Amino acid sequence: MTTPKTAFGQTIHHVELADWLATATAQHGNGYVMFDWLGVEDAGRPGAAGQRHAVFLHVIDPRTREGVMLRTEIGETDALPSVAHLWKGARWHEREAAEMFGIAVGSEPEHLLLPDSFEGHPLRKDFVLASRVVRPWPGALEPGEDNTSAPSRRRTAPPGVPDPSWGPRREEENQ
Amino acid sequence: MTDLPPRSRGVIALLDANCTVCMICARECPDWCIHITSHTEVEQQPGSARPRSRNVLDRFAIDYGQCLYCGICVEVCPFDALHWAPEFGYPGTGSIEGDGAVAELVHERDVLATWVEKVPPPPPLDPAAEAAPETATGTGRRPGSLRGRT
Amino acid sequence: MYKAIRGDHAWEPIPGGIIGGWGSARRKLVGPQVLPSLVVTVSARPDSVVLNWGTTYRVTVLELGLACCGVEVMAALDRLPALGVTPVAGAGEAHVLVVSGTVTDAMLPAVIRSFEAMPEPRYVISVGACSNTGGPYWDSYCVTKGIDQALPVHVAVPGCPPRPEALLEGLKALHGLVNA
Repeated sequence: MTTPKTAFGQTIHHVELADWLATATAQHGNGYVMFDWLGVEDAGRPGAAGQRHAVFLHVIDPRTREGVMLRTEIGETDALPSVAHLWKGARWHEREAAEMFGIAVGSEPEHLLLPDSFEGHPLRKDFVLASRVVRPWPGALEPGEDNTSAPSRRRTAPPGVPDPSWGPRREEENQ
Repeated sequence: MTDLPPRSRGVIALLDANCTVCMICARECPDWCIHITSHTEVEQQPGSARPRSRNVLDRFAIDYGQCLYCGICVEVCPFDALHWAPEFGYPGTGSIEGDGAVAELVHERDVLATWVEKVPPPPPLDPAAEAAPETATGTGRRPGSLRGRT
Repeated sequence: MYKAIRGDHAWEPIPGGIIGGWGSARRKLVGPQVLPSLVVTVSARPDSVVLNWGTTYRVTVLELGLACCGVEVMAALDRLPALGVTPVAGAGEAHVLVVSGTVTDAMLPAVIRSFEAMPEPRYVISVGACSNTGGPYWDSYCVTKGIDQALPVHVAVPGCPPRPEALLEGLKALHGLVNA
């Protein structure tokens, strides 16, 4: 187990994925029996979005009302051990993490909030929002430019729009 | 009629004369709801050595069906061409079959110009604040100068 | 002030509720899809009548308060008694559907089913940017970009959210459209 870091009144344990269950069990044994939340965020380095995720677990000791945060990093192919047997409320949050981020947690995830026909894991940073690709950005025009002539220099792209190689190809381009 | 506060966000009015087609509002809008088209005109100004080109505004449209009334475009316009007006009664009405109601919410340049008369004058300055140096009762020196105040 | 009846269906308005449809989406649908609605009648007192929809025409309004715009629509409905309009609770048939709030992809079938359960002539008022075009969530992965993709919209009220008075202007516009 790593030494916890305390800053701004909050204690965070940075643990390896292999120690996740052991640390959670130990904290549960220390009296942190009240579940607060379990969340996931992207832990990618710049240029490597969507590959690694950080899992946060915040639990509270109801007697002292102190909380402790556990943090681990999980890669693409790793599975997160479930802590739902310690805190029942974690089950929903783990299911949401599995659905929204694609983190494998135990059993096969079924759709919790998304419609059944949805494919993909939308809260990942590498998930492209199709509307931003399809809809033309009004700010792409330069001052003094109308829609008719070809652009004189490469147009700037707004945030969230991938480069033109993303997306399905048309048939005639596959020659 | 409802008495609305001075900076109520009802509708955005465009002052045509102030717009230089810098495209900043279209780029900063989070909803991509401002549509601007323009062209460049080159003309010889009297007294200048070479012809000058300037950008002429063709189309300025705000899609109020999309607008989230954040005010970023009004704040970011460097030339004060966009202003808030507290008018709120402009629903889009379609046909009886239900066509075109949302499309009617796209306000083109001429409609945006009609909102200009609804723009209220700016709220008065705080009477307890220091007078602006531009006024006759100001210090008459550069703004921020400390002479006579320490 | 008005009773909203909580029934078996996930999308019925809950008392004071803003988001319709919480609860398991796997609920079985029981019975016909006619939902409790607010019956709005205009009294014929000449000093306070605002909209004269006709003596044989009862205007019933079903408010689908899906998100924040639902609160503004609730505020507007609170002011109707002062204009001589009496909202009445109870199951009935709605002729005007007020879609106010973000229409998510999960909620879309419920909104469509509410519309299909309405008798003719039926009209749809779309309130707020989210139900007009998707609004601030136009790029979201789970939001329907405007209810006009699924239903005919007769009046679209802009705003984020629109003032309650703007909704009343929308009702006036609908009155003008119907009586034209």
